[in-house]
Amino acid sequence: MKLRKGWHTYWKNPGDAGLPLRITWRLPDGFAAGPIEWPAPERIPEGPSISYGYQGEVFLPIEITPPDRIAADSVTIEGSFEWLECKDVCLPSSSLLAITLPVGSVPASASPRASWFTEVRSRMPVPAAGWNLNAVAGPRAISLAVRPSPGVSSRGAYLFVDRPLVVDHSALQGFERVEEGFRLTVPPAPNSQGPPDRLTGVLVLEARGGARSRIALAVDVPVTVGDPAPAPIPSRRGWLPATVYVAAFFLAGLGLALLLRRAGQARRS
Amino acid sequence: MIRIATLSCLLLLGSYAVGHAAAIVGKPAPAIALKDTDGKTVRLADFKGKLVVLEWVNFQCPFVRKHYGSGNMQQLQKTYTEKGIVWISICSSAPGKQGYVTGPEAETLIEEKDATPTRFLLDPKGVAGKAYGAKTTPHMFVIDPKGILIYNGAIDDKPSTKPDDVPTARNYVAAALVAAMAGETVEVSATQPYGCSVKY
Repeated sequence: MKLRKGWHTYWKNPGDAGLPLRITWRLPDGFAAGPIEWPAPERIPEGPSISYGYQGEVFLPIEITPPDRIAADSVTIEGSFEWLECKDVCLPSSSLLAITLPVGSVPASASPRASWFTEVRSRMPVPAAGWNLNAVAGPRAISLAVRPSPGVSSRGAYLFVDRPLVVDHSALQGFERVEEGFRLTVPPAPNSQGPPDRLTGVLVLEARGGARSRIALAVDVPVTVGDPAPAPIPSRRGWLPATVYVAAFFLAGLGLALLLRRAGQARRS
Repeated sequence: MIRIATLSCLLLLGSYAVGHAAAIVGKPAPAIALKDTDGKTVRLADFKGKLVVLEWVNFQCPFVRKHYGSGNMQQLQKTYTEKGIVWISICSSAPGKQGYVTGPEAETLIEEKDATPTRFLLDPKGVAGKAYGAKTTPHMFVIDPKGILIYNGAIDDKPSTKPDDVPTARNYVAAALVAAMAGETVEVSATQPYGCSVKY
């Protein structure tokens, strides 16, 4: 999907608003389509809400499995695609798309597009092999303790939960270093029906290193019920700590009071 | 002077905090005081003793058009207001943003669509929307006669913009109202709402 500047589309959990791409396949006999494979999304603010989705360009791989035998010389893979593109307004769109492919008994040579598929696949969230993830959920926070595989250290992280009504999508996430790794906390959704059985989604880390790089990890862990405390909200990227806000507001209040006093004195004299 | 400083500080901080409120099922529904299309102030408290539905609306949003274009929303409004339920439609679109309406504009649209809300309230500053944590249009809330929130979420279980999905969808609002009227617990009291984001 190639989006114009300012427009976005949505991840499988769209967050506070929106709708992900839906495909209804029309496949030849014996063919099967897998699910849409979703690259790590980004956070997209829509006023005070946060949606999860994509801007610019996004490639969504779907694996189609043919049967062992195909009688025809060629097959047509067809699908009805429905999606939502939003900017400040939303446009529902749909398209019927089809591709016809030749059938042969000898594997085709790689097309110029082949490397493109490899590259897209490499950008998918990776399984957490070598990592240790531990999730505890309670009334104040859903907490994920992460011990990265050796050699990875993180400056910050965000957990995109892939099911609705689990976390508060628009809340800031707490982050604190613990021995051998870090702990990330998210407030539960205000009307969640209790802790989930499993915590699933994508954990995006900003890793240290020369260039700012993102690691996207596929998360699927069981949840222990407890009462973990929220971790502090990190103070960077324009998110100042609460104390700075309080100080700023207090100074503003002082300024106001001073002005009023001066005005009062001026009127009296 | 320190007192004024502290008060100003608290007021400013308070306004900053309002953005993150939410309406919790099982707890008292947040207060509402908004002007209707005639400019008259209407309060949620005015309707204590009745079942109340709150419907966040933006007539230009494709999800809202799904429910009005198919006649679904009007049908719900008519069926349940005839049974004594109070139906309040609320528009929290800010001036200049999609869906913003003045009182007269809202009345024209209501008439055009044959809608029958008990009241249509204007929330251009988003005060009620933010108090409720209204995220989408539509976003539906049901409040019992004691003022307790008994439903918060989607209008039905088919998140889409397609009117064809309406007849086969499970309508959560109707289910909550039917249960409440029969004195039963609401089976599904909270769902993820679907729609366009509210244009605060």
